[in-house]
Amino acid sequence: MTLSGGLTRPGERDRPVIKFMEVDWTFCLVLALIAGTGGLMLFSIAGASWEPWADRHLLRFGVYFIIMIALAMCDLRWWFNAAYPIYVVGVLLLIAVDLVGDISLGAQRWLQVGPLRFQPSEVMKIGLVLALARFYHGLSADRARMSWWLLIPAAMIGVPFLLVAKQPDLGTAILLGATGGAIMVLAGLSWRIIAAMGALAAVAVPPFIMFGLHDYQRNRILTFMNPEKDPSGDGYHILQSKIALGSGGLLGKGFGLGSQSQLNFLPEKQTDFIFATLAEEFGFVGCFGVLFLYGAVIFMALRIASISHSHFGRLSAAGVTATFSLYVLINGAMVMGLAPVVGVPMPMLSYGGTVMLTVMVGFGLVQSVRVHRYTEVTSGKGSLV
Amino acid sequence: MSEPSIFFFEVNERQGVFHRRAFLLGGFTGLGLLALGGRLAQLQLVEAQRYQKLSAGNQFNYRLVPPPRGLILDRNGVSLASNRPNFRLMINKDKDLDAEAVLTDLAKLAPIDEARRNRVLKELARAPRKAPVVVMEDLSWEEFSRINIRAPELPNVTADMGEVRVYPFGGAFAHVIGYVAKVSDRDLKAAEGDTTQDQELLHHPGFRIGKQGVEKAFDKDLRGRAGATKTEVDAQGRVVRLDPAGDIPPTPGKEIRLTLDADIQNRALEVMGDESGAIVVMDIRTGDLLCMASAPSFDANRFVKGLSGAEYKALAEYERKPLLDKSLTGTFPPGSTFKPTVGLAALTAGIDPEIRINCPGSWYYGGRVWRCWEKGGHGPQNMHDAIKNSCDVYFYQTSLKVGPDAIANAARAMGFGQLFDIGIPGQKKGNVPDRAWKKRAFKKNPANQVWFPGETPSYGIGQGALTVNALQLAVMTARLANGKKALNPRLIKSVGGVEQPSGAAVPDLPFSQEHLEYVRGGMAAVANDVRGTAYRQSQLGLGDVQMAGKTGTAQVRSYDGVANRKGTGTIWRLKDHNLFVAFAPYDDPRYAVAVIIEHGGMGGATAGAPRAREVMRVALLKDPEIRARIERPAPLPEAAPEDIMEGAAPEDPVEGAAPPAPDVAPIPPTTTPQGGPQ
Repeated sequence: MTLSGGLTRPGERDRPVIKFMEVDWTFCLVLALIAGTGGLMLFSIAGASWEPWADRHLLRFGVYFIIMIALAMCDLRWWFNAAYPIYVVGVLLLIAVDLVGDISLGAQRWLQVGPLRFQPSEVMKIGLVLALARFYHGLSADRARMSWWLLIPAAMIGVPFLLVAKQPDLGTAILLGATGGAIMVLAGLSWRIIAAMGALAAVAVPPFIMFGLHDYQRNRILTFMNPEKDPSGDGYHILQSKIALGSGGLLGKGFGLGSQSQLNFLPEKQTDFIFATLAEEFGFVGCFGVLFLYGAVIFMALRIASISHSHFGRLSAAGVTATFSLYVLINGAMVMGLAPVVGVPMPMLSYGGTVMLTVMVGFGLVQSVRVHRYTEVTSGKGSLV
Repeated sequence: MSEPSIFFFEVNERQGVFHRRAFLLGGFTGLGLLALGGRLAQLQLVEAQRYQKLSAGNQFNYRLVPPPRGLILDRNGVSLASNRPNFRLMINKDKDLDAEAVLTDLAKLAPIDEARRNRVLKELARAPRKAPVVVMEDLSWEEFSRINIRAPELPNVTADMGEVRVYPFGGAFAHVIGYVAKVSDRDLKAAEGDTTQDQELLHHPGFRIGKQGVEKAFDKDLRGRAGATKTEVDAQGRVVRLDPAGDIPPTPGKEIRLTLDADIQNRALEVMGDESGAIVVMDIRTGDLLCMASAPSFDANRFVKGLSGAEYKALAEYERKPLLDKSLTGTFPPGSTFKPTVGLAALTAGIDPEIRINCPGSWYYGGRVWRCWEKGGHGPQNMHDAIKNSCDVYFYQTSLKVGPDAIANAARAMGFGQLFDIGIPGQKKGNVPDRAWKKRAFKKNPANQVWFPGETPSYGIGQGALTVNALQLAVMTARLANGKKALNPRLIKSVGGVEQPSGAAVPDLPFSQEHLEYVRGGMAAVANDVRGTAYRQSQLGLGDVQMAGKTGTAQVRSYDGVANRKGTGTIWRLKDHNLFVAFAPYDDPRYAVAVIIEHGGMGGATAGAPRAREVMRVALLKDPEIRARIERPAPLPEAAPEDIMEGAAPEDPVEGAAPPAPDVAPIPPTTTPQGGPQ
């Protein structure tokens, strides 16, 4: 092909047109399909109305899509240089939210800056991935496997984890911790340490659940263990979600005909439990299709990570993929009654701007990794920092 | 460029590790997605049916629709108990119901005072979950629509239209028909596990259960079968959509037609005034009860709404006992109204009625003086005179000749001492004493088991241990007047259109026609002989239609040594009972009437007879044949003798019944009887 032949010329890949062509458009199409399905479901549960969710959902996707493409154009070296500053700003914002943040639903998560109202924990999801990738970029395989150097990434994960958990937003904290852990594993963490950490978690989690959690958090977990105990109380969410899913059957009740969501039996139908709405109206076939799309996104993102020539590119793309995968798996398991109710939405499908923005910014980074896969990234100064 | 910090082999190694680990994590994610898919398959393919059922259970609700209660009509189709629409306000108990707040909101739309508020809160606390509790009944249309418009803001509130029982005549039929009331806990317990009863219907707040009389005895016939409306509801229980195709219509209860006549019954209650007692009217040919009134009465409609404690107390504690049905449950000594029966017993025993017994005003027997009510005495009396004058001395002596067992046999044949199957409970059969009864009654006292001769004279004038009820008196009179059949009374004409067996299909009386005719003659003299005990009070004023009757006075206490028997100035509960029985027309008996005025004073003529006359007039005027006979122009002096002959024709019952007089047919039977010629 003429184009690929031309790409071998020095400087050719820095041309904006070429960069634009290098964006993974199949990937973008799949994202649009998922977001479109989300819009469709939001249209349905509003009683066949664009108001109040579907129109805004699709509009947001359009705006965030442009942001994603713009970020994909940004040189990977820019990302590399911005990694630590973003992380530091993120930590500072988390500290700020602890001091002056708004209280909503009993947790301090929101920060108001001028007209903007946002959750600093979302900034941290990108910031942590970038910072860890940057750190491991300069760390040798030996040190990444097992050394005292690993205390640094552990601290980088620990600080935001504790700050977010203190808000309290256990779902996001776990997401941050798990993403960080995934990057450490990908970077080559010794299996011995992985096994030791796993064992430590197995020992530490049960007492933590009993004594380290707020009542509502503990109740959610206990309810999950035995949802039929109080079907109208704490078990209501899980039970109604399962009814919505199961009653969908193979082909579903039909578009706009899901009684569980239309008649409000399903709680949080437009956000956390939108997958149950989908399952009710489009059945097993519809769910399987959407899960397939999510699988495709994850597969393509991982592939982008693995073709990158820079370690920073690999780890940051894989880190974003890990965050995304965790969203899908945790929300899916929760909706299907396999995990306790935690406030984790289904990315791109659920209504809600913050998570969608985070995910799209993350995919902007992934696309940038793809566009700049041959770019040589160096710290320019030395092995560390 | 500076010296590379990481050497090539290391870069290679890091890349290799990443690829292996990325493959691994990707694999884990894929497994996770597969697990989700598997779970989906389990829920949506394997267990789909179970969840579809649960989902439908969430979505659809069947709301019970109580059936309209069956109507109760009189013999002409006049409604005695019907239903009227009722706008109700209810609160459904729900897990997140804030009753205080809801009631505060409702108070802005409907008048809910502090007492009602507290009662509703108490009932809500007791009610089972999801059960509706009635806040108010009989809302005005304005209140009803005001609340219905705001229904979306009041999720647990329902305002609907139900039906409530209404008794158009208030008190006139209260004892016969009874009333309906809220289902009590005891009713619920009694019905528990009974598969013939709809338990859900019993728990419906709009449902009422029959508590007395016909409403209770025929409760299950009157109830009908509940229907249901299928509604689609949302999670808050609000109705989103009705699904008329899925509705099950309720089956109305059966219509019950009584033999009573609303006009006669109303007149009966009217003429009772403040007195306490009962009036029973019976059709002599069929046994149908045209009137069964008990006074004083109460408004049955008050019981439907629920009586306040004070109201109930006032009713229960009033000495004239309005809650008691005196036509069935009140038993009294029949007094002189028993004399025709004693006369029949004597005739059957072979005593010659023409033998005269002298009445000097008193008679000495068994060591004491037996007084006649006429202090001066009646002189020599045969049976005809004795009935006409109600001579006590004659019957003292005659009863001694006959003996208690023969009197008891005659009394039973006339219907005393027995219960009649008229469809409603609460009859007391009274007591017909004889030798066998004495043995039973005084089991523990052998000395008293023998029948003392001194008991018989009292028995002969209807006193002593003898007690009867008003219905039995009417039956006795009807049998006597009918002259042939041992007629049984009937109250329920038809249930759901099915005619109930008539009281006329019964065996003949064990008395000879001759004897019955003789006694009837005595009774005719009571009302029509100028010297009869109730002559003045028995004139119907209906042409040649005449009444025959018998007065009665039943002592409440002994008058030995106490002079004032007339009752003036005596307190009410110590006065004599006043009775009167009659039938008319004398020449062709159609209707029998029995009147008991509790503590009405001495002499059946004073209180009983005028009332019997008034009620009898209504009954006669409602009968088209009798009316035709009355309205026939009186024969002019110069009229042809055939006219007189024709007018006398109905005197022979056989001829009078078969060929109707030429001017009978054109008279419509719809003429209002109550306003008849006074």
